[in-house]
Amino acid sequence: MMQQTPRVGRQSAIRIFANEYRDASLPEEGSGEYDPSFIITKIGAKINRALVCGVIDRVERREGENGPNYSGHIRDPTGTHLFNVASFQPELHPDFEELMARYETGDRFLLALVGKARWFETEDGGIFTSLRAEEFSIIDKECYTNWLVQTADATLRRIDAHSSSLESDLNPAALEAAGVPSDLVDGLILARGHYGDFDSEAYQVGVLQALSIATGRTNVIETEAEDAPTLEQSTTDAPTPQAPSEPSDAVETIIEIIRSRDTGQGVDYNDIVAALVNAGHSREDAEDAIDSARDQGEVMEPRFGFFQLVPE
Amino acid sequence: MAEEGRYAAQVTIVKQECPDADEKEVVEEFRRYEEEFLIPPEDALRSVVRKFQAATGIELKQIAKPERAEKKVDRFSDLDADDRNVTIEIAVISYTPRVQMVRGEERQVAFGWIEDNPWQPGDQRERWDFKDWGEKAENLAPGSIVRLEGASVNEWNDKRSLNINRTTRVTVLKEGGAAAVQISDEPSSIADASQREGFVNLVARLISSKPDVIVKRDGSGQLDVFRGRLGDSSGTISFLSWVPLEHEAGTVLKIDGASIRKFRDTPEVNIGDRTRVEVFHDSAFVSMEDLEQSNKVSISELRNGMRDIEVTVQVESWESRSFVSDDGTERVVRSGDVMDPTGRCRLTAWCETDPSRGDFLHLTGARVQYWQGSPDLVIDDAAQITNLTDAPWEPIDPEVHWVEIDLTSVVSGGSRRGISTSGTVVAVRPDSGIIERCPECRRVLRDGACGEHGPQRGEEDLRLRFVIDNGVSNASLLLSKDASEAFLGTDQESIKKEISAGSSADFVASLRERLIAKRLIVKGRSIVDEQGAMLLADDVEYDATSAHDAANEVIQHWGVIL
Repeated sequence: MMQQTPRVGRQSAIRIFANEYRDASLPEEGSGEYDPSFIITKIGAKINRALVCGVIDRVERREGENGPNYSGHIRDPTGTHLFNVASFQPELHPDFEELMARYETGDRFLLALVGKARWFETEDGGIFTSLRAEEFSIIDKECYTNWLVQTADATLRRIDAHSSSLESDLNPAALEAAGVPSDLVDGLILARGHYGDFDSEAYQVGVLQALSIATGRTNVIETEAEDAPTLEQSTTDAPTPQAPSEPSDAVETIIEIIRSRDTGQGVDYNDIVAALVNAGHSREDAEDAIDSARDQGEVMEPRFGFFQLVPE
Repeated sequence: MAEEGRYAAQVTIVKQECPDADEKEVVEEFRRYEEEFLIPPEDALRSVVRKFQAATGIELKQIAKPERAEKKVDRFSDLDADDRNVTIEIAVISYTPRVQMVRGEERQVAFGWIEDNPWQPGDQRERWDFKDWGEKAENLAPGSIVRLEGASVNEWNDKRSLNINRTTRVTVLKEGGAAAVQISDEPSSIADASQREGFVNLVARLISSKPDVIVKRDGSGQLDVFRGRLGDSSGTISFLSWVPLEHEAGTVLKIDGASIRKFRDTPEVNIGDRTRVEVFHDSAFVSMEDLEQSNKVSISELRNGMRDIEVTVQVESWESRSFVSDDGTERVVRSGDVMDPTGRCRLTAWCETDPSRGDFLHLTGARVQYWQGSPDLVIDDAAQITNLTDAPWEPIDPEVHWVEIDLTSVVSGGSRRGISTSGTVVAVRPDSGIIERCPECRRVLRDGACGEHGPQRGEEDLRLRFVIDNGVSNASLLLSKDASEAFLGTDQESIKKEISAGSSADFVASLRERLIAKRLIVKGRSIVDEQGAMLLADDVEYDATSAHDAANEVIQHWGVIL
C-alpha cells in the first residue's frame, strides 16, 4: 500500500515587481533532485517561477566555455530585474539575438519574461537574485499595463497577508484562520522567521505607481521609454576609466548591491567585488568601478571598507 | 590452511573478545554459518562472538564499536550514516501522516521536514527529511522544537534522513501549532475524516447498508462485503465493510479504528475485523431525513468513484447503441449529454430509458465513473430515474451554457465539463502546430513512428499547447484542430504553408509573440489528476477586459487610495 508521492506539479508564475524580488535574500533549496527551489521575499512570495514585464534596459552577450550566454535588465516602475539566458538554452538564442540586434539599433521596447528564480550567494552569505529566462516576448503597452495591474493586485494580496500574519501565531492553522491565502502560508512562515522588521510601505509605492499608470493618472511608461536612451546617453558621457569594463553597468550593479544588502552597517568591499566578478567583470575592473563610484559620489564609504548609498 | 585463512579476519576479532575460545571451533562455527545457514562470515560475526562469550563465561557485552552508545549532536552535519542512537534538538517544519503496510500490518507512519539548530533563524539551519515510525504525531506538530533521543540516521541514494522510531523519546521544548493529526480516541467529523487517509474514529448514522460481493482479481473466488453510507452533521461518506454490518439503517454507530482510503477520487471508510462497531445512543444526532438530503449533489461536485448519489439533470442529447458483449450477448447502452446550473456531464444508462432533449431527470442511487477523464453518471435500473414534470430551473440553453470558474478552483476541483476559466499564457509548447498522428491509435508520431504501432504514414493534425497561469495556479491548455483554427483565424492548410515557407520554430516564435503574457478566456472541459490540470478547449479568446477597468476593480477590492 506504499503510496507514491505525487510528482510535484508545475510551479505557478508569481507576478512580482523588481524591488520586492531584489530585496529578497532567503533562498530555499529543494532537498531532492527534482524538488523545486525558491526565493522567499520579505512579504512571503515563494518564487520558483515569475512573470515579469518592463522596458528592456541593457542586454549583453558573453562568450562562455560552453557557448554564448546572455544577460539583460528589464525595468518596471520599481526598479530592474536582472535576467539571463544560459548557454544550455540554445533554443532561446536565436530569438534573443534578434532582440539584441533590435536593442543595439537604439530601439527600446517592452518585454514580458517568464523566468526561474536564481540566486548568487557571496562568501559571507549575501544573496543576489535574478531570473533565468524560459519564455520571453516583446509586448505592447496594453499587455504591459495589464501585467502592472495583475502585479499590483498580487502585491497587495501579499502585503495584506503579511500584515495579517503580524497579529497571528506563525503556524499554518493560525495563519489560515487569520485569513492568509493557503498559497502564501509557507512563504510567510519562512519570511517572518528570516527577515527582521521592515516597512512594507516600500512595496505600496510600486502598487500605486502601477495603478496610476493603468487608470491614466500618469503616464510613466511613455516617459520611461523615452528616458531609456537619455539614460544611456548620460552614462556614456561619464568619464570612463576602464573602457572595456562598461563601468556604467558596474556602477549600477554596485548601487543595487548596496541598496539590497545594506542593513545599516554598510556593505563590505569584498562582497561588492565578488558580486561584480560574478556579474562578469574582472576583479581589476570591479575594484576600479568601486573607486570611481565613490569618487563620483555615487556611493560613500563612511568607514574603511564599508559602502553605503549617498542619502538623497 | 586455506580454510582457516578464509575466516582469519573474523577469527582474530573473536579471539580478541574471547581469548579462551578454541580457534578450530571458531572456524568451524563460521563454516557452519556460511554453509548451513548461508550467512557470510562478516554477518555472522556478532552471533559467533556471542556464542563464544557465553561458552567461555565472558560477560555478554557490546563488541566492535559500541553502536548503541548515545551520540549527542547539535548539527545534522555531525552525524554519520550509521548512527543509531542519536540525541539532537530539532525544529519540526512539516508533518504528513500516511497509512503504510509494514510487514502485512497497516501502520500509521509520517514523513516531513526537520531542521537542526532550532533556536537560530532559518538561514543558519540545515533541513533534513524524517520518517516517523513511532506514531509521535502529538509531539511533532509543525512549528514545534523538540529533543529527539534514540533517533537513527537513514542513508538512501546518498541522501540522509532521520528515522524516529517507536523507542525514540520525543520531548517538546517549544510548542508548535495544532498537531497535524490526532491519533486520539476522540471521534472525527466525517468532513475532517474525508480530508485525510489513515485511521479514524467516527460517530455516524447508518444511512444505508446492503450486502455486496467483491470478485477476487485472481479468480480464486469472491468475498462477501457490505457497502453503504454513513452520515453526521458535517457530511456523508460511503463505507466498505469486510465484516457483516447488519445494523438497521438509521442506527447511530460508534466506529473505532476504521480506516479512510480513497476509491478513485472518493474517500471511503473501511471497516475491518479490528474495527469496533457499537450502537451509540444520542437523541440529538442529526436525523435521517436531514442526512438523506445530503446525498444530493450538483454536477460540479461529481468525483470519480462516488456511489449512491442523488442528482437532477437536464437532458441535452440522447442516443442508444448496441454492441456484442464479451459473453456473446447483444447489449444496449444508452447515453447522452446532461447539464445542470453548475456544469455538464455524460449520463450512461444500462437500462431502458429514452428521455427527450430538454427533459429534467431526477436520478437516485447513481454512481460516477470517469470516461475519457471526465465524470460520467451511471444508472443501472430504470427505477432510479424520475422524469420531472415541474422544471427545477429555467431551461438551460446548451449553446451558451458555460459555468464561469476561476483557474484555482479548476485546478483544485475535480474534472468538469462545460466550464469557462481564464489565465495568462506563460508558456507556448514547442510541439504546437502541425503534428502527425498514428492512424491506428491517434497517438502523436515521433520521428514517423508510433510508440505502440511502429513506423506509420501519419495523419496530419493541428493542435496548440500552452500553459496558462493566474499567479497561484496553472494548467496546460490544449486546443484541438477546430479550436486552433477558430482561435488563429486561419485553417490547417494555411498554417502548413506558413510552416513549410519558414520552419516550425518560426511558427512557434510567432505564437509566442502573439500569446506570451496575454490573458485568455477558455471554454471547454478540465481533466484534473495527480499530474495537474489540463484544459481541453472548445473555444479560446483573448480577454478584452481593459487594464483601466481591471485597475479600478483592484483599487476597489483593496481599498487603495491613489
